[in-house]
Amino acid sequence: MPLDNSNIVSAAQTKFGALKGVTLREMFSEAVDKATVDAGVPKKDIQAAFIGSFIPEMLVHQGHTAPLLMDFAGMKGIPATRHEDACAAGATALRAAVMAIESGMYDTVLVAGVEKMTSVSTNKATEALAAAADDEFESSMGLTFPGVFGIAAVAHMQKYGTTEEDMARVAVKAHKNASTNPLAQFQKEISLEKAMTPRYIAWPLKLFDCSPISDGAAALVLTSTEKAKQYTDLPVKITGTGQASASMNLCDRDDLTSFSASVDASRTAYKMAGLEAKDMDFAVVHDCFTIAEIIASEDIGFFKPGEGAKAVNDGVTARDGDKPINPMGGLKAVGHPVGATGVKQAVVLYRELLGDAGPNQVSKHDTAIMHNFGGTGATAVVNIMRRADA
Amino acid sequence: MSEKPTVEEYLKNIQDSQFKAYKCVDCGMVIAPPSGSCYGCGSSKMEWANVSGKGKLVSFTVIHIAPDEFAEETPYYIAIVELAEGTRVSARLLGYDPLKPEEVKLGSDVKLDYEDTESGKKYLAFKPA
Ligand SMILES: [Zn+2]
Repeated sequence: MPLDNSNIVSAAQTKFGALKGVTLREMFSEAVDKATVDAGVPKKDIQAAFIGSFIPEMLVHQGHTAPLLMDFAGMKGIPATRHEDACAAGATALRAAVMAIESGMYDTVLVAGVEKMTSVSTNKATEALAAAADDEFESSMGLTFPGVFGIAAVAHMQKYGTTEEDMARVAVKAHKNASTNPLAQFQKEISLEKAMTPRYIAWPLKLFDCSPISDGAAALVLTSTEKAKQYTDLPVKITGTGQASASMNLCDRDDLTSFSASVDASRTAYKMAGLEAKDMDFAVVHDCFTIAEIIASEDIGFFKPGEGAKAVNDGVTARDGDKPINPMGGLKAVGHPVGATGVKQAVVLYRELLGDAGPNQVSKHDTAIMHNFGGTGATAVVNIMRRADA
Repeated sequence: MSEKPTVEEYLKNIQDSQFKAYKCVDCGMVIAPPSGSCYGCGSSKMEWANVSGKGKLVSFTVIHIAPDEFAEETPYYIAIVELAEGTRVSARLLGYDPLKPEEVKLGSDVKLDYEDTESGKKYLAFKPA
């Protein structure tokens, strides 16, 4: 049965990028204000908060962040919990909120995600990110995150003939879409030649195959169908949600060309929504690396295994293509403040589904899918959403 | 080798150039890196297993940008190797030029080795057979 009681009535993000002089709590508070008071939802209506943040302990030396952030945002007192599932933290927070609303325990809750990453050096940030991989068996021999996806890329290239140029085209598309998104970290188009600049991070992945290190926050308000009417005539409904886990280790996986948690989570979400990939008008997927978008587009069933690269080359996933993917620019060009990403993806779905995405609007926007995954792909969350009048 | 294997011992064995895998007492599945339960039958009874050291290259990458701890070792290979015993491990890959990764062929036969570092730490590694 599709879910029927989970309604997004407001959603917003801060600008993503190197936000000099803005701290974790200030970013959080800005996103929360945009999604509550600025959107006509009084803070006093919020009954609980679900917050995604990956590793503020290492990045800004701050644990126990949920009450700290809520206090600064003027909402202390209500239950507030942080969710940590690496890069999927935002989407697991959202999923917990969906369960809280569907259970009937709350009518109106806040979902937010935040990460401050540019407060430390790039090497330190890389080290913090590596904590999302298996330390004893993989990271400790020097396997980095780009390395994880480099290994997936090599396997995909070998099995399906995917090329470095195919991956570069994903970056070109991301930058093109982000060029008209004022909240993006990079608002500049890049040429294929530039995307192919041989500055290797983890061969075959180059600088332009990787999402950047970013600061940013995103927030949304989720309410019951009854309460939603107080805030808007047109909410966006979450009708299906799926989550799955897989081995942290790459070496414990039989297939390196697909992420099993993504496949499992999307099956669950489609089944719950009573829909299939062909029913989706567009997708927002976790393109932490260009190869990750190609694989995700196959794992969520938009394309057959091995055909994701061709879809990019044929323009199928472009904003004006038949199956747009990451129409506002994705993690690659908008930025990837880890804990904020899963919530930001929901913000993008909300805006696109309502027809409120300005120059980044896709033409068909009734139903869409978001895919967020954590770390090495050991956690994946997939949500199906539709505009309430669709 | 009848004592119950531990992760600490597994990691120490690598430092001593004495790599050993886990083996499920109930179904015989060879498992490395360690798991608390068998992927084949779910049993949590494990013992040590010596391995042949023979393997095949499944996939790899070359790390160019690394955290401070590994920065001086770049560029270096990290590979996924399937051992003849069926289990897969992540390891350093030796004997190939890290600036010519396009010459490395997946499926190549490799054999167990170890990589010494200046800090005295050892990595599980493989080299061309
Ligand atoms: Zn067994």
